[in-house]
Amino acid sequence: MGFGQFLAAPEHKVTIVTYRDIFQSAVMEEGRFSEEYLKLSAVIKMDAADIKKLDVKVGDTVLVKNKDNNGKVIVRVESSGYDSHSGIAYMPNSPWSNALVDADTGGSGVPRYKNIEAMVSSAKGESITGIDDF
Amino acid sequence: MGAAHNYEKVRTMANAMEIYKLLPKTNCKECGKSTCMAFAVSLLSRELTVDDCPPLKEDKLKANYGKLSDLITPAQGASESGMIVHEDKCFGCGNCVVACPVNVADDPHGAGIGRAPTSDKVILRVKDGIVRTSNVQECRRFGKDKILCNGCIVTCPTEAIEFV
Amino acid sequence: MKRQSMVILLNENYHVCTGCALLCDDIEVITDGKKITEVKTACRKGVSRMKGCNEPMSPTVDGQQVDIDVAISAAANILKNSKSPLIFGLGNSTDGAQKKAIELAKQVGAVLDDTSSFCQGPTLEAIFNDRIKSCTLDDVRNKADVIVYWGADPSNSHPRHLSKFSYFPRGQERQRGWEEDRTMITIDIRKSHTAKISGDKFYQIPLQMDAEFIDALIDALSGKVPKVSFEFDPKRILELANILKKAKFGTIFVGLGLVYSLADMEPVVRLMDKLNEVSNFHLIPMVGHYNMRGFNQNLFNETGYLNRVKFEKGNSTDVQHGAEFSIVESLNNKTVDAALIIGTDPLSSLPRSVAEHLLDIPVITIDPCETFTSRKAKVTIPSALSGVECGGSAVRMDGEEVKFEPIIDVKDQTIRPSDEEILARIMEAL
Repeated sequence: MGFGQFLAAPEHKVTIVTYRDIFQSAVMEEGRFSEEYLKLSAVIKMDAADIKKLDVKVGDTVLVKNKDNNGKVIVRVESSGYDSHSGIAYMPNSPWSNALVDADTGGSGVPRYKNIEAMVSSAKGESITGIDDF
Repeated sequence: MGAAHNYEKVRTMANAMEIYKLLPKTNCKECGKSTCMAFAVSLLSRELTVDDCPPLKEDKLKANYGKLSDLITPAQGASESGMIVHEDKCFGCGNCVVACPVNVADDPHGAGIGRAPTSDKVILRVKDGIVRTSNVQECRRFGKDKILCNGCIVTCPTEAIEFV
Repeated sequence: MKRQSMVILLNENYHVCTGCALLCDDIEVITDGKKITEVKTACRKGVSRMKGCNEPMSPTVDGQQVDIDVAISAAANILKNSKSPLIFGLGNSTDGAQKKAIELAKQVGAVLDDTSSFCQGPTLEAIFNDRIKSCTLDDVRNKADVIVYWGADPSNSHPRHLSKFSYFPRGQERQRGWEEDRTMITIDIRKSHTAKISGDKFYQIPLQMDAEFIDALIDALSGKVPKVSFEFDPKRILELANILKKAKFGTIFVGLGLVYSLADMEPVVRLMDKLNEVSNFHLIPMVGHYNMRGFNQNLFNETGYLNRVKFEKGNSTDVQHGAEFSIVESLNNKTVDAALIIGTDPLSSLPRSVAEHLLDIPVITIDPCETFTSRKAKVTIPSALSGVECGGSAVRMDGEEVKFEPIIDVKDQTIRPSDEEILARIMEAL
C-alpha cells in the first residue's frame, strides 16, 4: 500500500457502544435472515465531524475492525444525530457488532459490549458484510 | 353504540401538502392569502372554505374541487385537528395514548392508568404496534374552543405525531 | 360535547405478551385459528413476536429433516455421550420448562447458565440477597414520584415501560398526571429516545464514568460539594441530589449501560444505602427476555445461585458456581463438549470470537424459529412459541409472577411441543 492510498483512506479510532433499536428488535422477531434485519443491523452511527474526517458520506460503506484485528465488518455509516461525540460510535446489538467484541473478559464472563475499541475507514463501493459471511 | 357521533364519518386525515397538490398552484391571491400553500393551511384549519378559491370552480379544476370538498369535511372529520401520525416512526409505546387528556377523561380506568383502552371514545389507541386515531373531533385542538394541547407530541420519543 | 354514555368494553379476553419482561397483560388479539392476525395495545416488538416469525425451524439432524422423535433421541444421545455438556438459554421459556432444564442439568451433570450471565445477573443477585431494596412495577405506577432511568433506554428495549408503569399513567397516589405528579430523570451517555422525554432532567455523563458520577451524587446527598474529573456543572449534580432527596417514593431503573460500566455492584449498593438514609428509593433491573428473571429465581431457589452453575452428574446436591461456569468462559476455555441451547441465539448475541467454539462441538437447539445458532446446530427441535402456542407462568422484571394461557387453540392441530415437553422427552430418552 502506497502513501497515497493511506492518505486516501484515513483511519479513525473509535470506541463503539452497542445499543438496542426497537425497529431492529421488531424485525428480528420476524426473522433474522431478512434483508430488513441486515439493513437495520449492519450500521455504525458516528459523529458528523468524524464521518467527514473519514472522507465518506452518510450511507457509504465503511470498514470497521477491532484493535486485535481479529474481527472486521463492512457496514453502512450513518450520522448519530446527537450533539458532538467525536471518538464514540454506536452500533445496534447484532452479529455485526459482535464480530468486533473481544473474547477476553479478564475472566469475568462479561464481554465489553459497550466499550469496543475499533478503527473505522472508508470502504466506499464495497458491499456490506452479509449474514453468510460470518 | 349509544354515542352521539357518527363514527363512519371519521376518515383518514388530509395534510397541507395533499391539499396543496389539488389547488391551482398559481398563487393568484384571490382568496386573500399570498400563496396556494397558505390557502391549503387555512383550509386545514377551517379558517377558509373550498369555495373561497374562485379558480377551483372553473371547469378544468372541477374534479379537484370535488376531491377537496371530500377531503375538507365540514365537521367531525379527523382532519379537523390537523393531526398526522408518521407510522414509520411510531413503535407503539403508547405514551400518547396514556398522556392524552381526552383519553384520560374518557377512559380513566383503562388508558388513564396505562392499560388497554376500554372506551370507544378514546382518540388514540395502539393497533398492530402503531398508534391509530379515531374521534379526532374530540381532540382539544379541535373546534371553536380549541387550545394548543401538545400532550401527544411532547411525550412521543420519535416525533411521530405532528399537527399541521 | 356531552360524554354521558361511556361505553366500557370490559374485556375478558386479555392475553399476555411475551415480547419482553414487562409481560403486558392487556393485549387483545384477532386470530384466524392458526396465527394471530391483529394485535391491540402491544408495541411493535410485541406484535412481531406474537404474530410469529417467517422462518420457523424444522426438526433436523445433521441438516436433514427428520421426525421430531428422531431429533429428540439424537439430542439425548449427544447429552449421553458428553462428558461436560452446557445447557444455556431459557429466558424465553416458561417456569415449567426452566425447572425441567434444571432437573436435566442435574441428570447429565451440565454447566447451566443463561443470558443474565452477561446481562442483569449482578443486579438481580444483589436484590435476591436483600442488598438492594426493590419494589413492584405496580408500586411504581401507584406511588412513584421520582423515576430514574440509568443507562437504560426503555423506549427501545421495553416500549410500554413509561406508559404502562412509570411516568405517564395515573396511580392511586399519583392522580394528577405526569406533568404535576412525577419527575422523570435519565442518566446516560447519549440523548436516547428516553432521554429526550426527560427534557431538562437528562444528565449526560461520559462513557464509563458512572461509578465516579455515583460517588459525586453520594457526596451531594451527604451535603458535600460533588466533584468529578470530567466537565460537569456541580450545580446540576446538587440539583439532581435535591430531587432525589425530596422523593416520597423513588425508583431507579437500571439498564445495561450502568451494569456494563461497573466492575461490580458496590457503587450501586452504596448509592441505594445513601438514598435510603435521606429518602425512599427502590431499584428494578431492566430485564430483557420475558422470563430471564424466572430462570434466575428458579435456579436460586434450588441452589442459592442464580446462574453460572455446574452440577455433578447424578449427584443433585453437588453444585459448583463461579465465572468459570459462565457460558463465555466455558466457551473461551473450551471446558464444555456439547451444548443444548434453548430459546436463545448465542451465535448472534455473543462475541463472535467466543461463540466460535460452538462450531466445534455438537449443538442442539430448541426454538420456534431458525436462528444463527440453529443453522449451525447438529440437532434442531422446533418448540411452541410460549405465550402464543403454549401457556405457563413467568416472572416479570420486578419479580411478580404472571400466568398465561395459550392464545392459539392447540387442539386439533399438529402444534409444536412446548420447551417443557421437549425437555421431558429428552429426559425420558436418556
